[in-house]
Amino acid sequence: MFEQLFDSALVESVVRALIPILLAALGGMICDRAGVFQISLEGMMLVGAFTAVAGSYLATSATVGTVIAMAAGSAFSLVLAYGAVSRQGDPIVIGVAVNLLALGLTSFLLPQLFGVRGVFQDPRVDGLNRFPIPFLSDIPIVGPAIFRSTIPGYLAMLAVPALWVFLFRTPIGLRLRGVGERPVSAETLGVNPTQYKYAAVVASGMLCGLAGAQLALGNVVQFSENMSSGRGWIAVVAVMLGRAHPAGVLGASALFGAAEGLGFRLQGNGLPVQITDALPYVATLVALALARKRFKRILELTAA
Amino acid sequence: MSVNAPELELRGITKRFPGVLANDRIDLTVKTGAIHAIVGENGAGKTTLMSILYGLVQPDQGEIRVRGELVRFSSALDAIGAGLGMVHQAFKLFPTLTVAENVVYRNEPKKGWFIDRDAAEAGVRKLADSFGLGIDPKARVEDLPVGVLQRVEIVKALYRDARVLILDEPTAVLAPQERDGLFVIMRRLKAAGRTILFVTHKLNEVMAVSDRVTVLRSGRVMADLKTSETSPKAISKLMTGRDIEAVARPSLGNGGEHLLRVNDLGVVDDAGLVRLDRVSFEVQAGEILGIAAVAGNGQSELIDALTGLKPASSGSISLNGVDITQAEPAQRRLAGLAYVPEDRHRVGTAAGGEVWSNLLMGYQRTPKFRRGRWLRGTAVKEHARELIAQYDVRVGSENTLVGTLSGGNLQKLVVAREMTHPAELLIADQPTRGVDIGAIQFLHRRLLEYRDQGRGILLISAELSELLALSNRILVMYEGRIVAEFDAASTDEAELGIYMTGGHLAGAVHG
Amino acid sequence: MAETLRASTNRVLRNPVAFSIVLSLLLGAAIIAATGTNPLLAYSEMVRGALTGSGLRNTVSRMIPIVGMALAISIPFRAGVINLGGEGQMVIGGLAGTLAAIYLPLPPVLVIPLALVAGMVAGALWALLPAIGQTALKLPILISSLLLNYPARALTGYMVRFPFADPTVTSSSTVPVPESNRIPKLALFDGVSASLVLLILLLIGVALFNLRTVPGYETRMTGLNSRFSRYGGVAVDRQVVWVMLASGGIAGMIGTHLVVGETYRFLDGDLVVSGFAWSGLLVALLARHRPGPMLAAGAFFAALQIGGLAMQRNVNVPWQIAQVLQAVVIIMIAGRFVLKARRETAAVIEGETTVTGEV
Repeated sequence: MFEQLFDSALVESVVRALIPILLAALGGMICDRAGVFQISLEGMMLVGAFTAVAGSYLATSATVGTVIAMAAGSAFSLVLAYGAVSRQGDPIVIGVAVNLLALGLTSFLLPQLFGVRGVFQDPRVDGLNRFPIPFLSDIPIVGPAIFRSTIPGYLAMLAVPALWVFLFRTPIGLRLRGVGERPVSAETLGVNPTQYKYAAVVASGMLCGLAGAQLALGNVVQFSENMSSGRGWIAVVAVMLGRAHPAGVLGASALFGAAEGLGFRLQGNGLPVQITDALPYVATLVALALARKRFKRILELTAA
Repeated sequence: MSVNAPELELRGITKRFPGVLANDRIDLTVKTGAIHAIVGENGAGKTTLMSILYGLVQPDQGEIRVRGELVRFSSALDAIGAGLGMVHQAFKLFPTLTVAENVVYRNEPKKGWFIDRDAAEAGVRKLADSFGLGIDPKARVEDLPVGVLQRVEIVKALYRDARVLILDEPTAVLAPQERDGLFVIMRRLKAAGRTILFVTHKLNEVMAVSDRVTVLRSGRVMADLKTSETSPKAISKLMTGRDIEAVARPSLGNGGEHLLRVNDLGVVDDAGLVRLDRVSFEVQAGEILGIAAVAGNGQSELIDALTGLKPASSGSISLNGVDITQAEPAQRRLAGLAYVPEDRHRVGTAAGGEVWSNLLMGYQRTPKFRRGRWLRGTAVKEHARELIAQYDVRVGSENTLVGTLSGGNLQKLVVAREMTHPAELLIADQPTRGVDIGAIQFLHRRLLEYRDQGRGILLISAELSELLALSNRILVMYEGRIVAEFDAASTDEAELGIYMTGGHLAGAVHG
Repeated sequence: MAETLRASTNRVLRNPVAFSIVLSLLLGAAIIAATGTNPLLAYSEMVRGALTGSGLRNTVSRMIPIVGMALAISIPFRAGVINLGGEGQMVIGGLAGTLAAIYLPLPPVLVIPLALVAGMVAGALWALLPAIGQTALKLPILISSLLLNYPARALTGYMVRFPFADPTVTSSSTVPVPESNRIPKLALFDGVSASLVLLILLLIGVALFNLRTVPGYETRMTGLNSRFSRYGGVAVDRQVVWVMLASGGIAGMIGTHLVVGETYRFLDGDLVVSGFAWSGLLVALLARHRPGPMLAAGAFFAALQIGGLAMQRNVNVPWQIAQVLQAVVIIMIAGRFVLKARRETAAVIEGETTVTGEV
């Protein structure tokens, strides 16, 4: 009995950890499919977290906060879209700078708008509610973890099959994949690569905004400086490991979620927080090393 | 639209690129249901003309009529809309998509919001079967051999209702069986009333399959002939403006001294396939040894193994009596190997570097250019200036970025770098590809001079005429093996062609 | 007068770097104004805070880690290797250097250099991990070096919380470096760290290396086109390893300087919070890995940050506006021109060549 309870708590913390990563990684996956090198997931997630808290605080509504986070993530993603797609700037340079911009901007606005440094917590910030699905949420162990989730949580879970259908079964998905592989060929056949790339980047911004909302209004109810703390980069790796396939991305995100959830539990068992904090990153690196794939595209991009 | 109007009519097409008149008042009439060959040497303007016809390049002057109607293409989409389809030399397919997905791309049959995959696959299969193309709509493009990819491109054009198919050097990448298959398909298409523009520089193919032939030279139409009323010899003369050149083939300088000795060299690729199968040969001092092969028959693997860019899996290589089988590329260079790579943009130069830094590469560790770890800046720049002058590279100065150089100039730069260093053996891979006629002649003279100094050259070229004109001996490679060796003086294109295409195995070649 | 003003304005606007700086300052002004402060007041506080009184010394002091990290990152960057792990290498090196400075039972003349060496070695070893990952396992350094920042922080955090903790304080920190073992101050700029001399020497060394040596030439060519370099006989994989070692070494040395020369205690999170590694990365990008411009850009960013802190004190505008300005400058520059020539060249019709395509 006790054993079971403990396991369901573990599963729940795993799911909670994986949802923001999954949302961001799905955004990265769309960009990857469209041939946009997207490493600013981290920054967009941070902007999402900040605007979610700000929106929720101002409107005392988590829903408003979430919608604002999605809008802000999309708007913020336009920086990369314009710089890397329209101006054909180096996507790595712009991506890194966008991440730093997000960090600077949120750290600047936090004291400016709320008069606090480091962490902003306020009873007026409305957290995301959990909506248990009758019966399903009573399934032992996985039920409470999966079927008693927040709206972004359900959206993340639904997005996996939905994006699979979109990418592999719809005309727009097909065209997007073509654009990512050979933009010039797509253009010859009358598909405008720029439009598709923009749409992909904005979609990733929206998903990262949602991820940020889940992080700041679902997992906790507060904003703290740099609270995305590398999850966006883990999402970048999840896209690589998952071969930009929805199921693969889900699997990779689950792996990192498991590492974080496990870390959380080990922490409860007395392991120092410094060690458990490092766990998801180490797991990511080990997974990368084990995958032993040739990450050709990114190697080519980085090595001219 | 008049009933008797020709399928295609080009009048006075002129296109000028900086420094080159690529197309000079070209007239061309193509009848419906004909296989019309367009021939010319490299640089004659074939590709430019086809790009104009397909809407990829806009002409400076001239007009195009399709079935009598005046058209103006501002993109390939317009050309497709007018019933044209093009199969490029470099295919434009999406590798990870399936055949059906490639074909229906942007013209997908739909069922509600979704692609009607059954309809797409059935449609592609039907189209393919009706011309005997035999392709599987569900296969992923990246898994298919080159010959099949070409047929996918043809289906793609047919799916878009192309009445006119432009095939740009379609046989360059094909194995012999595949080539014969293509000819069968072309005849079937013709029988179904489609028109084919067949761009090539291989005369036996022109004779084998075409109805008419238009000969281009230096951007101009030299002749428009009925194939049945002409001969390869006549076409060749029109193409080159000369009878087949008889180059004096002087004796071997140092008489029989072996520079390079290759023994049972083998290469196995990442997938475990044998790419180079126990190849043995020597290059002697004072000799140009030519290698003739259709692309993809092991010559790239041979070069990579010789230069050390990819490891050999078996056999040995010795240069000047020194075994270099295990040596790193840098050691091979020091041992006396120079190399003009096939791809001057991606391998042979760095666009963002200056002329001097590009001219130094590969020799930066030779005593002439360094003192310990320090670069001798003056010597390096001096050297660059000398080469610029000697090889007539048209640049502002040695500090100009090479990204600004034209193709011919860039190639001169690469050749200058590789030839002036004191190596004994030069590997020249397609040294004149994509270079204008003037530069070709210049480069040929340099290659012969190099040989006359008693050094050796391993020459790989897709141009049989070049191989025949320059080489002392010619080896023919087919499917990773050396299948024949000829004295260059006593063979010809037709004979080489048979071996290059495996014809000695299959019997006779068509045409 | 008006003519020359217009002419020089035009010149500034045509220079992409100057243009980007002007534009981002304007954007920063808009942000400051939007949050309810007079931007002119804020900027004048910034200038005063960065350049007058103790501000000048602080600016120069801050320039040391920023330029140092820029230098560290520029060495691999010039060879086409993007090291985003500067932070981790700096932190690991910083801890190793600090421990050496605290615990080595040797005279100070030896301890200080040895502490710097210890920092270099530790930083280099941390950088070796992603280098080997790329050469042996084909894991992109871009990703692996970045991910290693987090374990580096966790590891050092653990070390100063448990084995090397100072039991007399509540925070996770080492004991202070003994006064005798600290990097001395110069009589310059009101007492700036002697590490400045080291930094200048390093800059000169790297500049000479880049322009005058064979390996310097080879790294640049690899950065421009690695296939060309390999073709020319450069052992590119070996190069990846040593540029990363050099990068991590310098980062580790800077980390050591930050503790042994500035704060004297290795406090968990202290080296990370100011974002030196990231400012350094941006400086390296801005200066396009040339040491001279790096010094100038580093001084500019340092002044922005120190001025930003003054602005925060005096007019209550958070200093992070400096981070925003830095990032915006880089984004604008990257958007105006490609930093590395890797844009696909349009199908130039050159004679009759078509680009030989795969598939």
